[in-house]
Amino acid sequence: MRASSVEDKATIGEGQPKGLLTAVSTAPVRPVAASRSLFWRIGDLGWALLYMAPALAIFAAFTFIPFFRSIYLSFFVTDQTGSPVRFNDIKYYTRVLNLDGSGRDEYLNSILTTIKFTLLVVPPGIAVAVGLAVLATARVRGISIFRTIFTSTVAISVASASVIWALIYNPSLKMTRWVIDLFNLQTEGVLLDPATALPAVAFMTIWTSLGFNFIIALAGLQAIPQELYDSSRIDGANGWQLFRSITLPLLTPTLLFLFIISTISAFQAFTQFNVLVANEGPDETTNVMVFALFSAFFKDNRYGFASAIAVVLFVVLLILSLVQFRLLDRRVHYQ
Amino acid sequence: MEPRPFSEILKTAGLYLLLSLAAFILLFPLFFSLSLALQGPTLAPSLIPDFNDLDWGVFGTTFAQEKNFGRWILNSFVVSLVVTLGQLITCSLAAYALAMLNFPGKNFFFFLFLGTLMIPWEATIVPNYLTVVNLGWKDSYQGLIAPFLASGFGIFLLRQYFMTIPRELYEAAVIDGCGRTRYLWSILIPLSRPALGTLAVYTFLNTYNQYYWPLLVTDSPEWRTTQVGITAFKSSEVALFNLQMAGTIIVMLPTLILLVLGQRQLVRGLTAGALKG
Repeated sequence: MRASSVEDKATIGEGQPKGLLTAVSTAPVRPVAASRSLFWRIGDLGWALLYMAPALAIFAAFTFIPFFRSIYLSFFVTDQTGSPVRFNDIKYYTRVLNLDGSGRDEYLNSILTTIKFTLLVVPPGIAVAVGLAVLATARVRGISIFRTIFTSTVAISVASASVIWALIYNPSLKMTRWVIDLFNLQTEGVLLDPATALPAVAFMTIWTSLGFNFIIALAGLQAIPQELYDSSRIDGANGWQLFRSITLPLLTPTLLFLFIISTISAFQAFTQFNVLVANEGPDETTNVMVFALFSAFFKDNRYGFASAIAVVLFVVLLILSLVQFRLLDRRVHYQ
Repeated sequence: MEPRPFSEILKTAGLYLLLSLAAFILLFPLFFSLSLALQGPTLAPSLIPDFNDLDWGVFGTTFAQEKNFGRWILNSFVVSLVVTLGQLITCSLAAYALAMLNFPGKNFFFFLFLGTLMIPWEATIVPNYLTVVNLGWKDSYQGLIAPFLASGFGIFLLRQYFMTIPRELYEAAVIDGCGRTRYLWSILIPLSRPALGTLAVYTFLNTYNQYYWPLLVTDSPEWRTTQVGITAFKSSEVALFNLQMAGTIIVMLPTLILLVLGQRQLVRGLTAGALKG
């Protein structure tokens, strides 16, 4: 019976308006109960270490140590088992960034391909998701069914989606042939043509990420106070004016956030490339960084070189995450 | 009551039309896969199946054609359930320490956990792969499970929730002689069911849908998980279009059911979990 009264309190504590993303606050810990004796704090330290031990052990073994090991390995030539055999200076890095003067720029191109892929996926993906989210705010009967449908691709794995889309793109199917002829594409299959392979993978990626983008966009829209619309409507604003002067400005933080998150996940895309194309693609046009990384260590056993690609990728993603954490911080303070 | 003006009705109808059109386009790949699955082993399937001649037995045929199919589903469930349970345990313990205990060095550990969110899996994949190979963990449950038994996201999600539970309750319980561990187990955990549910649904979904890691650490067909299995099945010779699609539908079913049943938890997890794509 004691628990039920506690539950009430907990709900009250939780009662303040919860906007998007406030569930995970990254604000630093504030010292509590300064009056507590040192004895207590030392006692707590022992328990705290014990409680954190399982998580710390997993992180040490599979995150922190491997992370530093990656950086270390990237300066070495390694043997078949992944042990470093010869110090290689920064040669792998100059090779990846084409600074070694060899003129072999396939890895630099791979970075460019990744950026191109990101540009093909992110802006259209967000635009479609916002459009769907605006539709889904309509207050009509059965809207929740439509919301579930618009959310559905979030539950579909990229691997299953890739198997389906591999068939949709299969030129031996009458329907695909028909679409290819409709757009007069001179091609034996969109995934085999250097001009269409990357856009085709990007199109499928927009579909798979739509569910997630929709959820975030809808949550952002629902956080906008309804009174703003009501009062503007009384002042005679039309639908487009409402969207431009209320929805868009108030949705900007959500859009920025979506932009960063989608960019990070576009940079990390691998499954669809491995299933739909399974190699570097026609004229290497789909050889994104994560695929180049995969080929380097899994196919060629070049662990040192692969580590250098991984570190370059890490730096790019770190910059993006730092931007994201700044945005997130601002949002938390804002609320 | 006045009848609704005609323009209003027209607007609503237009809205439904737009919503239905969007839903149809979005679901098209799923209709497509179901249509192809039910058309029998033809090499030239059409977009719309012959409704008088639907081959529902194809789902059974998939299991017969690919002997390991059931095993892949088992593997995926074992891995996802153990990872989910493991994360619930490790994350609530660590979150408890961060949210309730007051110990020297707390900020250091806080930022240490935060740091794990900044390190993407690409940055650790090569050494992790080598570790698993050197331990002889290829083709084993421990290789598929161990790296995912803790999550920075989970720790922050639960810490945040634990902090909404009044601190006086903890102090009172301790004064009454309730041990720290007992407080966590018999008060905090039962009170935090919504947050734990969110983490569970989110983790299960993500683990079940993993592709990259299982691809690296499994070699033999019987150790594949559903996601790797279905893509391998796609390129195998026995897999005709209908079997590929039937297999994919079977593989997608658990997560689609999870979406329908646990949509609220999932949405909550994703809007918070957006931290890590």
